[in-house]
Amino acid sequence: MTSDPALLLHQWLSPSFPVGAFSYSHGLETAVAEGQITDAASAQAWIATALEHGAGLSDAILLAAAWRAEAGDPGALIDLARALAPSAERLVEADRMGAALARALTALHGHDLPDAPYPVVLGRAARLSDIPLPLTLRLSLQAFAANLVSACVRLVPLGQTEGQGITLALMPLIERLALQAEPGDTDLIGTSAVLLDIASMRHETLNTRLFQS
Amino acid sequence: MDIKDLATLPRGEMTARPAQPRARGRMLVSAKLRAGRSRISDLHQSGSLKALFPHGSSTALQAVMLNTAGGVTGGDQFALTAEAQAGAHLVLTTQAAERIYRAQPGEVGQVRTMLRVAAGARVDWLPQETILFDHCALDRRLEAEVAPDARLLVVEPLIFGRGAMGEVVHSGHFLDRWRINFGGELIFADNLMLSGDLQATLDRAAVAQGARAMASLLLVAPDADRYLDRLRAALGPSGGASVIRPGVLFARAVAVDGFALRRHIIPAIQALSGADIPKTWTL
Repeated sequence: MTSDPALLLHQWLSPSFPVGAFSYSHGLETAVAEGQITDAASAQAWIATALEHGAGLSDAILLAAAWRAEAGDPGALIDLARALAPSAERLVEADRMGAALARALTALHGHDLPDAPYPVVLGRAARLSDIPLPLTLRLSLQAFAANLVSACVRLVPLGQTEGQGITLALMPLIERLALQAEPGDTDLIGTSAVLLDIASMRHETLNTRLFQS
Repeated sequence: MDIKDLATLPRGEMTARPAQPRARGRMLVSAKLRAGRSRISDLHQSGSLKALFPHGSSTALQAVMLNTAGGVTGGDQFALTAEAQAGAHLVLTTQAAERIYRAQPGEVGQVRTMLRVAAGARVDWLPQETILFDHCALDRRLEAEVAPDARLLVVEPLIFGRGAMGEVVHSGHFLDRWRINFGGELIFADNLMLSGDLQATLDRAAVAQGARAMASLLLVAPDADRYLDRLRAALGPSGGASVIRPGVLFARAVAVDGFALRRHIIPAIQALSGADIPKTWTL
C-alpha cells in the first residue's frame, strides 16, 4: 500500500469519497433562495467568509488539534467540536460526514478512529497515516471551498469554469488560513459569519431543499 | 508637545498617556426558594460591580447590575458568579447598556460571567446591549453549569459604535466566548470574534452585510423545542433559530442598528421567558 501523502489525501478529499459532502450546502442554499447569492462574485464573497470567519478556519484549527493530540481520549476536543455547531443541520453535517469518513478509513486502512465530527476524524486519520499537517490543512480547506463552489454551481447556477475561477481565486486565502490554523490552538477559534449561521438555521424551513444543510 | 498639538494628533498615536487606574468589580449573587418566592441567599459585591434588587410582584428574584465605573476599558476586570439554588428563579439584567470604551494599546478588558443553575431552578441572563466604541478591546467569557431539569436563558445584544454620533468602529477587538454545560457535559459553545476593522468585517456578505447590531440567544430547557416557532416569528427574516440538539435552542439576529434590534429582541425575550421583560429594558 502506498504511503504517498498527496495521493492518499487526494483520494480522501475527492468529491467521490463516500462521505456525502456533495449533499451539504452549509446554508448556502438559503442564501441563494433568499437572493443573497446571485452570481459568481456574491458566491465567492460568501465562500470566502465561510473560510475566513466561519467553519473553514475553525474546522482547520480543530483538525490541527486532533492531528497534534497524543494518543488517549480525544473526548474534550470532540465535545468542543460538536458544541460549536451553530445549528442542527450544521451539527448533522459535521457528525454524518465524520462518521462516514471514519467508516471508510477504518475499512481501508484499519485506523482506530473516534466517532467524531469530520475535522477531528480527518486530523486523526492524517496523523495515523503519517500525512504532514500543513498539506492536510491546505487540501482540506480547499476541499471545503470546492464543495461550496460546487453547491453554488448547481444552485445559482454558475458555469463550471466560473466555479473553478472562484476556487482558484480563493487559494491565497486558503494558504494563509492553513498557516494560521497550524498550531491547533482551540483557544484561538473565533467566528463571526453570523448571516451564514442564520442561513443554515433558516434552511430548516426553506420550502424547496436539494441539500441536507 | 502642547495640548493643541495633541488635539490634532491622530487618536491612535496617543500612546504616551500615563497608565490610568483600572476598574475592578466582583460579585456573587445566589438565589434560594423560600415560601414560594426566590430570595437572596448570598450576596458579595466589591469594586465597581453592584446590584439592585427591585421589589415586584414576580416570584422570581430580579438583580439589576450596575457598573459604577460607567463602562469597560482596557485592563478592567469584572467577574460575576450568579446562582439559582434548587427551585429558585433568578433574573439578571443591567441598569443600562454597557459601554466598551477605547482601550490603550495592548490592554484588554476582561468580563467573566459564571451562571449556575441547580435542579429545578432557572436563570435568565438578560443584560441590555453591549456597545462597542471605536478602539475597544474586550475579552468576555460566559460559562454556565445547568442541572438536567433546570432552565437557562441567555440573550446578549451587541451594538457596534454609537450610531447617534455617527461612530464607525474601524478598529477594535471583541471576543465573546460561551461554554454551556448541561449535567456536566459541554452542550453548546460559541466563540464570536471580530478583530481589526470591525465595520469592514460587518460589511462582508455572510457576516452582517453592513448591519451594526446583532444578538445571540440561547435557551437550555427540557421543552426548548416548544419555543422554536414563537422565536422564529419574533426574530423575523433577519434572524434564525434552531434546536441544535434536544433541549438546546439557539438563535442569532442582525439589525441595522440598536433600535431595530430591540424591535425583534424584546418580543423574542417575551416569547422565550414566558414573562414580561425586566423593566429596565423599557425605561
